[in-house]
Amino acid sequence: MKTVRFSVYRFDPSSDKKERYATYEVPYKTGMTVLDGLLYIKERLDHTLAIRYSCRMGICGSCGMTVNGLPRLACYTQVKEVGWSLKVEPLRNHPHVRDLVTNFDEFFKKHKSVKPWLVRTDSREQESPTSQYLQSDAELEKYIQFSYCISCGLCYSACPVVSSLPEFPGPQALALLYRYLADSRDQSRSERLKIVDEAVGIWRCHFAGSCSQVCPKGVDPALAIQLLRREMMRG
Amino acid sequence: MRATRAQSRSYSTVLKTMLLPAGYSVERWSYTLQRVTGVVVTLYFVLHVVETGNFIGGPGVWYVPSKDFAASYYEQVKELLHNPIFDAGLVIIGWMVAFHTINGLRLTLAHFGITLGKPTRVDPESPPRSFSNYQRAIFWASIALATFAAVYSVDALFGVLSG
Repeated sequence: MKTVRFSVYRFDPSSDKKERYATYEVPYKTGMTVLDGLLYIKERLDHTLAIRYSCRMGICGSCGMTVNGLPRLACYTQVKEVGWSLKVEPLRNHPHVRDLVTNFDEFFKKHKSVKPWLVRTDSREQESPTSQYLQSDAELEKYIQFSYCISCGLCYSACPVVSSLPEFPGPQALALLYRYLADSRDQSRSERLKIVDEAVGIWRCHFAGSCSQVCPKGVDPALAIQLLRREMMRG
Repeated sequence: MRATRAQSRSYSTVLKTMLLPAGYSVERWSYTLQRVTGVVVTLYFVLHVVETGNFIGGPGVWYVPSKDFAASYYEQVKELLHNPIFDAGLVIIGWMVAFHTINGLRLTLAHFGITLGKPTRVDPESPPRSFSNYQRAIFWASIALATFAAVYSVDALFGVLSG
């Protein structure tokens, strides 16, 4: 039977002084994902392995990890497409908790800072609606692509600017800000632009494009950031 | 749960994420090249202006009127720098300056949203719209023109082509 070699990053801050890589041989099955392999390890070979996952179908965004050097969703990545020898590590740019589990506190703090919701100033209309908010196809297409974000943190992990400048908001937060800015129903354009018009704000993006390459949902954060920057220059 | 921030921000991980574009698209290679060339050209500029003057005439050269300085030290500087090691360095600097300039124009266009695709409904089969053909063409043009600048520098300094 064909086997897949998993070299998995292991580190438990409560007992280990240094990280190490444990190697496991996992029997291959057609259609096997990286998450399937890790669950086989956890169930049959080493119960102490810490991983985070939930939906197993690329929707919840919980199982992000670095596989052979690139951030990927473990449930969305076929073993066949990355090779028979896998090096599995936690996501970069996120603080590590244990083994492959990372801490998302900072990531979600930045996410929240861009006000990822529609802001309306017509409070009377909000309390007693008299009509619907209609949008044309053209208006929808300005932001629909960026609304597919599942906050998996892969773009944040791939971003070289976050790596060297941890205060940088990161591609996910900036793309989400543009998603609401471009929405014809939103009424807080100037406030939104002010949020990231900071020394360590949108101007620190250098268009490395890695965020768009690794996004499993085709969101293209690099495009959103450049378009946001264009909006800022227009004022 | 205790998060160990030190683990994720180790120098090796930061350097790997910052400077190793292996596995990523040409946009990431462009980012790394743009940063490296920017740092090197800036350092070169500082060394060129400050250290050459200090080396030749000592700190006192900065108090000498520019015309006298030029007249006194031009030949000495020329003699110091005229050796194959500095010439090879100038060829590399020539490549870097040309690349950084043209690739910088590409990035400036992108910052204004020019040469990028428009957002659309997600198509899993298509590459990201930000990786547009125009953007990639300008990137490869910057590589080609930088290489031309390097070849020209080699010829000017070593006389390889013109003999």
